Amino acid sequence: MRRRLLWSLIGVLVVAFGGFGANLAAGNHPSLGLDLQGGASVTLEPLGTFDPAALDVAVDIIRKRVDSIGVAEPEIIRQGDTVIVNLPGVKDQKAALELVGSSGEVLLRPVKQMGTTATTTTLPTGATTTSGPVGATTTTLPTGVTTTTSPAATSGGPGSVRRAANTTIPATTITTDTTITTPAAVDAAPPTTVSGVTDSITTTEDDRDRDVVLPGQEGEFVYLVGPTGATGKVFNNNAKAEISNGSWVVVVSLRDGAEGADQWNALATACFNGTDVCPSKQLAIVLDGKVISAPTVQEPVFSGGNVQITGSFTEKEAKQLAKYLQFGAVPVRFSAPTVQTVSASLGKDSLKAAIVSGLIGILLVLLFLLFYYRVMALVVFGGLTVSGLLLWSIISWLSKTNGLALTLSGTAGIIVSIGVTVDSYVVFFERLKDDVQSGRTLKNSAQRGFESAWRTILAADTVSLIGALVLWWLTVGSVRGFAFFLGLSTLTDIVVSYFYTRPTVLLLSRTRFLNSGRVLGVRRTPNAAIGDQ
Amino acid sequence: MMSGKISRLYRGETTVDFYGRRRIGFFLSLFVAVVTVVSLASQGLNLGIDFKGGVAWEVPASKTFDVEQARNVLDANGISSKDAKVQVLTSGTDRRIRIQVGDQPTEKIDALKVAFAKDAGVNTDLVSVAAVSSTWGRSITEKALRALVVFFALVSLYIAFRFEWKMALAAIIAMVHDVLVSVGVYSLLGLEVTPATVVAFLTILGFSLYDTIVVFDKIQENDHRFKTSRVSYGDVINVSMNQVLMRSLNTSIAAILPVLSLLVLGSWVMGAVALQEFAVALLVGLLTGAYSSIYIASPLLGMFKEREAKYSGMRGHLALGPEMTRLILTGAAAGRRATAQRSEATRIDEAVEQASTDQDLETASTVLSHPPRPRKKGRR
Repeated sequence: MRRRLLWSLIGVLVVAFGGFGANLAAGNHPSLGLDLQGGASVTLEPLGTFDPAALDVAVDIIRKRVDSIGVAEPEIIRQGDTVIVNLPGVKDQKAALELVGSSGEVLLRPVKQMGTTATTTTLPTGATTTSGPVGATTTTLPTGVTTTTSPAATSGGPGSVRRAANTTIPATTITTDTTITTPAAVDAAPPTTVSGVTDSITTTEDDRDRDVVLPGQEGEFVYLVGPTGATGKVFNNNAKAEISNGSWVVVVSLRDGAEGADQWNALATACFNGTDVCPSKQLAIVLDGKVISAPTVQEPVFSGGNVQITGSFTEKEAKQLAKYLQFGAVPVRFSAPTVQTVSASLGKDSLKAAIVSGLIGILLVLLFLLFYYRVMALVVFGGLTVSGLLLWSIISWLSKTNGLALTLSGTAGIIVSIGVTVDSYVVFFERLKDDVQSGRTLKNSAQRGFESAWRTILAADTVSLIGALVLWWLTVGSVRGFAFFLGLSTLTDIVVSYFYTRPTVLLLSRTRFLNSGRVLGVRRTPNAAIGDQ
Repeated sequence: MMSGKISRLYRGETTVDFYGRRRIGFFLSLFVAVVTVVSLASQGLNLGIDFKGGVAWEVPASKTFDVEQARNVLDANGISSKDAKVQVLTSGTDRRIRIQVGDQPTEKIDALKVAFAKDAGVNTDLVSVAAVSSTWGRSITEKALRALVVFFALVSLYIAFRFEWKMALAAIIAMVHDVLVSVGVYSLLGLEVTPATVVAFLTILGFSLYDTIVVFDKIQENDHRFKTSRVSYGDVINVSMNQVLMRSLNTSIAAILPVLSLLVLGSWVMGAVALQEFAVALLVGLLTGAYSSIYIASPLLGMFKEREAKYSGMRGHLALGPEMTRLILTGAAAGRRATAQRSEATRIDEAVEQASTDQDLETASTVLSHPPRPRKKGRR
């Protein structure tokens, strides 16, 4: 028993100090929110005419997207018709742009030909096709582009689309999914606009409705795509990356009706049958003049309303594609976003004042506890240190990995959580005091006292956790940030109570020192001494 | 040596009749609730720019024009810079100052545009003005309210499952009470409501609920303890309240000290105004939270429970003074003889709270009928 307690104590101390040390060594530190440190401000200007109501929807979608990047508290403002997204703690402007994502419209265009950028530009009149070894085919485009397609789908490369089925898909299907059948002959009229196939191809408004050659996302492949068959609006705003049969896929549902599923199915049927419109059976997902994915269509009609895109995606690629599809559902088109750095909205002195007065507040609490619980207050000191180190480590780590940012209200929330943390000790110690007073020794009452206090602490903390989870899932912005810190400090409280407070008090209660004389400021009642002789 | 009341409090030997005095708390809360409703109806809440939106100027920064100067210009034109958001926007070498305030009349917007341009030493055309939406839009409020309703529902279910549904009802009413009082204070004093304030309200909601749960846990424990003896539910509550009184006080002090430090030191002495709104909300909330779990949640629970057949027989009967001490210590109700003794004792020493510590100790030792089992020798 004693050994187990000792191990638990050592374990939690190692985790707390180890985590602190590791974060310190890695140079992680909590990053601060918009109000305290500023960040990057991304401006999005709507293009063309649009419905004001649609702009509201767009703002909502952008907010959802930005919220999904982590636990920071971004700020989204409409200034006139412009949408401004402020991201906390992002120093790198390029990173901010990537977070907010591309602003363009997602277009779905049938792929007529696919090739690599290694170009030799002669303009032949006919197309020749050479069949390559298993799964790899070499094709010559009418423009004279020699293409090699590899069976492995790369980012911006091919993948496959099929109906998302709830039933298990045989593993063999997956393998064939990524194989691309390259068309034997290209029947399309040579596009007139192609003058050279490079990354610098820019698309204009007119390009939407005619054949054009577009680069892949990585610039590795080029695609000859037909007129736009549909836009990203055929999808609902719910694209997400998930794991199916051990590989990452992107799942999205189709909007009902003529604007959604009907349009998509018409395109899918054309591609599945490999008609002249879409001889390659591939459907290109185009964003900002780049093909971000060109999956092969596996079903003529997507009756289930769900589309699943498979391919050998990495987790990052799948998530990125899901984000693009989500953004493609934004009903307003925005110009290329501009980025600025934005300074803190509160002065530096606010943070300093908060920290200094917070620390003094903690000091006052400790003095109060020392006055009230005497020696046992040292246990609380240790506990607060352990909680503090744990919180600091977790916040630093999440700042680095998930873009968490501490706002002024978050900081103050943590200061208030000291009250809750201290309460766990108070509940426990008051229980011990009661027992000692009615004649038990500290040693006898410690275990019993902890069990009963633990019940109380767990009940109260469960309620806090319920609150934190509900608010986290259902809200956005600063309320979400609050929920995060509430949940974090409550969990820390539970962990510290069980792994630190319990062993410390139980071990201390066995020492001679704490069983002689007055404990916790009370003395045992006289008749108790009889039982103890 | 501490003496008198403090000492008794410290030892957890108080015998305050919380339940008998429940009406004082109810009337006080009712009064505050009425004041809140009247104040909300007449002057409403002072919502900040994050809720209402407003107007923003963007001015090129220069040597003569920085954040401080922008705030000075605002103050000089009769707009409190305290509620304004002033930020620096940097893009490459281009620095601009963004000044955002609540809605202003058109003349004022133009006047300020000229004033900013003059101060920055640039042409008026270089200062842009735009209407700004709220960062905290209607959809955020709606989501937050929906989340709150779900939260209330889930918490009620949990309390009903872990304790009982009457406790859930009492806890929720106490929470609503806390929100009402906090909102009332904000409306009455005309303090600005910012997103930070909303977060503060949520914090105290959680804290108040936490406090109530701890008290209810004790009540439930005592209810089990007194199962065999004939006591009224009011007694159970009184005993529990006196037992957790010290905890409630300690916890509240531990939570309020840092907040007071934020308010007094951070906001008043060190001048960080932004902390003030937050700290005031927290302070008000913590005080109401501590108050409501003692004076609202528990007495309400008592009133709900006293209607039950199990307790209705003893309804209205409260063990006071030494009898309560006896209950606290032994968990057994006094017999007829003890009750007679009690009335005698009460006559001798009417104000029970003034009874000396020694006498109480004696009472405690004589009523302790079952001393703890002696420790066995030779075993750990």
